[in-house]
Amino acid sequence: MEAIEKKLREEAKKLLEEKKVDVIVGYEAGTLPLTAAPAFVTDPSDTTKLVWNALCVQNLAKYVHDVVSQHRNAQKRVKPENRTKKVVGVVGRGCTTRSIILHLQERQYTREEIVVLGVPCRGYVDKKKLSVLLEGQEIVHGALDGERLKVTTAAGDRIVAVADVLADNCLICRFNNPVISDLMAGEPAPAMRSDEEYDAVKAFESRPSEERWAYFEKEMAKCIRCYACRQACPSCYCPECFAEQSRPRWVGIGEDASDTQVFQIMRIFHMAGRCVDCGSCVAVCPMGVDLRTFLKKLDKDAYELFGSRVGASLDDPPVLSTYREHECEDFIYNP
Amino acid sequence: MSEDRVKEGWDPKIAAIVCNWCTYAGADLAGISRIQYPPNVRIIRVPCTGRINPFYIVRALQEGADGVLVSGCHPGECHYITGNLSARRKFAMLKIFLDYLGLEADRTTFTWCSASEGERFAKVVSGVTERVRQLGPAKKLVKSL
Ligand code: SF4
Ligand code: SF4
Ligand code: FES
Repeated sequence: MEAIEKKLREEAKKLLEEKKVDVIVGYEAGTLPLTAAPAFVTDPSDTTKLVWNALCVQNLAKYVHDVVSQHRNAQKRVKPENRTKKVVGVVGRGCTTRSIILHLQERQYTREEIVVLGVPCRGYVDKKKLSVLLEGQEIVHGALDGERLKVTTAAGDRIVAVADVLADNCLICRFNNPVISDLMAGEPAPAMRSDEEYDAVKAFESRPSEERWAYFEKEMAKCIRCYACRQACPSCYCPECFAEQSRPRWVGIGEDASDTQVFQIMRIFHMAGRCVDCGSCVAVCPMGVDLRTFLKKLDKDAYELFGSRVGASLDDPPVLSTYREHECEDFIYNP
Repeated sequence: MSEDRVKEGWDPKIAAIVCNWCTYAGADLAGISRIQYPPNVRIIRVPCTGRINPFYIVRALQEGADGVLVSGCHPGECHYITGNLSARRKFAMLKIFLDYLGLEADRTTFTWCSASEGERFAKVVSGVTERVRQLGPAKKLVKSL
């Protein structure tokens, strides 16, 4: 990991010095123990603060989109002849590059506007799993030491293996190495258990319908509609979300449980052929809502029905923006 | 609440979202030809199945429709050439997804019906009404406040 980090900082520094990028979007150490936060580096000498480790959770494509769209909006007030382009360098692990591919396919920015600094990924630490292991004790101090976490809580010191607290989406990730990159820091990471990627969905499918609904109801009853999931999601970039539109008001904002269910169904369904299973939404949810059981189903269907995986290749269009003349007629009702 | 609705002589309420160029005309033909079909459908006309936001279907279910029927031009006959082909993918995924959540699969129905198929339209409506009647009043996802 240290070697990768070193190479990453060197490359980032070079890119900034040679003015090939205007900003590097990467990770830096967070302010709380055992966390990493997104970092925006514009000064070459600041590249020393970049980190790459198992604590880097959020999908950075979200911030690439934010930086590009903010710049574009600001440029609207500039005379056409004086407009500038901004090139964003991004530290890209597998899922981040898949989101970038999706953004490119959805024409959010062009390939020339981004430089991908690819990094191999071995998965990140799921804070909720760690908290369960620590029995909810607050982490006072923590350090990452190779494959282990050294954690200090009020109950004393503990050593936790990173492998024991990896996020569910990382354990079965098929794309833990960048799909596209301009530069690579480090050798490709070993494959994860991608043959098991749909096991959880299959298990859920096999439960009786009433149980499935009961589970969905129970999970969505936890949701407080803070919209953190949407804010964190690289695929949720609409300037105005349906959740806030008032003409028409698509979804009620009252106490009724069905409003939250409808909000979730629609946000999740908007992810059909667009969710890269980066786990960013799950990681930020303050209520621990299980979104992944539902999101992953769409991924499975898109693959099984249409042979499509989000962001697997630039030439493979998102599943709902294309069609074949003869396909999936079996759900059509014929009396 | 739903038990009460059955006691009160509940009859399925079905929102039919149909394409202007085919099924809507097909419904018209059924009417002109005096073909009988159950009066349970409330028809909502849209320019093309490609115009149907999945939200329409989910909202109809939330607002108390016991079933939703979506019908448009047969593949290859869409007035806008490919509207229904894009829609087909979307609906295929939506139908499976709603079923996965535990909503009864038969509450949402998708079909094709052209302007000349008045007979077929009547059959579809009878079939869908019967299927929804079997399921009983919608309870899940229905807004109560
Ligand atoms: S829905 Fe969640 S897992 Fe999927 S792309 Fe968005 S943040 Fe990532
Ligand atoms: S982050 Fe969690 S609680 Fe907040 S809106 Fe999303 S699912 Fe609901
Ligand atoms: S015009 Fe009828 S489905 Fe497109």
